Amino acid sequence: MKIVLTPDWFLGKDILIDSFSFIVLIIFSVLAIRSYKLNKKNRNLLYLGTGFGLIALAQMACIFTKLILYYDIGPAQAIGQAIIIGQFLSSVNIFYYIGFFFHNFLILVGFYIIYRLPQKKMYIGDYALVLYFILLSAILSVYEGFFYFFHLTAFVLLVLIVNNYYGIYKENRFVNTRLLIIAFSILAFAQLVYVLSKVGILFAVANIIELISYVILLFLIIRILKYGEKKKPYGYNIRHADNRSGKKRGH
Amino acid sequence: MDIISDMLTIVQERNGGIKPTHLMYKANLSHNQMKVYLNELIKKNLIEKNAVKNGVRIIITKHGRDFLLQYIRMKEFEKTFGL
Repeated sequence: MKIVLTPDWFLGKDILIDSFSFIVLIIFSVLAIRSYKLNKKNRNLLYLGTGFGLIALAQMACIFTKLILYYDIGPAQAIGQAIIIGQFLSSVNIFYYIGFFFHNFLILVGFYIIYRLPQKKMYIGDYALVLYFILLSAILSVYEGFFYFFHLTAFVLLVLIVNNYYGIYKENRFVNTRLLIIAFSILAFAQLVYVLSKVGILFAVANIIELISYVILLFLIIRILKYGEKKKPYGYNIRHADNRSGKKRGH
Repeated sequence: MDIISDMLTIVQERNGGIKPTHLMYKANLSHNQMKVYLNELIKKNLIEKNAVKNGVRIIITKHGRDFLLQYIRMKEFEKTFGL
C-alpha cells in the first residue's frame, strides 16, 4: 500500500527540503529566544521562538517518519513491532501515524501561536476550542482520504498570519516585514497545492514552493544578523529611532 | 536598555575612547543620569575607564560590543515581527 503521496522519483529529495526548512526554523527559534533572554521584557519574543521551535520540531518528526518509511530502518522496525503485539499493523504504519500526527499537530499549533502574537487577551475557553479543532484536523489528516484537512487548516492560519503582518507592514513600511509577508504568502500557496497533491507531480511542486518560502526566510535571517554588524545602525540615539522605516525620506 | 545601548553605540564609534562629558552630551543625558548609567555599565563590564594624560577616556569592552550587537539584532527582530 502506498501511504505517502511523494512520487517515487522525488523520494529522498523531499527529506532534503524538510531538513533545510528545519534548519531555518530552528535558527529563527534560537534567535527569538536569545533576543528574549537579553532583557526578558518582551514575552512575545519568547512565544515567537516557541512557535518557530514547535514548527521545527514538527519538521523533525516529519524527517524521522519519512526516513523510516522510505528506508525502513531496522531499530525503528523492532520498536514498532514491540509496540504492536497483535501485529495487525506493520511497524512502518505505526510510525507513519504517530510521526505525521505530531508533524501536523505541532505545525498547526506553531502557526497558531505566530498568528496570535500581536493580538490581545483571549479567554481560556477560546484556546480550548482552537486546540480541539487543531487536534481534530491533525488526527483526521493522518488518514489518507483526509490528508487535505491539515493543509486547508494550515492555509487558513497562514492567510490570517499574512493578514496580521500586512497590518503591521502598513504601519512600519519595513522591508523585513514585507519579506516576511512574501514568505508566508508563498507558504500559504504551497498548502493549496498540497491539497491537490494526489497528482504526484503537484506534491513535488508544493515541496519546491515551500522551499522557496524557506529560502526567503533564510534571507531574512541573514538580513537581521548582518544589520547588527553595520556601523552606527540607528544613529547615535537608538531610543529615538522608532520611526525608522524602509521608505526613503522625502528630503 | 535603550539609553544603555545609545551610550554603547557612541563609545563604540570612538575607537580611541571618549571623554565622559562628550558622552553625556551626545547621549542627551543629565549629569546625574550619566553617573548612574556609567557605574552600571562599568559594573557589568560593558565599558571601562582608562586614565590618560589629560583626564579619563571611556572605552567599550569586548563584552560591551557583543551585547550591543545582540541588542541591535533584537530590535531588528522586534521591528520585523511588529512585537
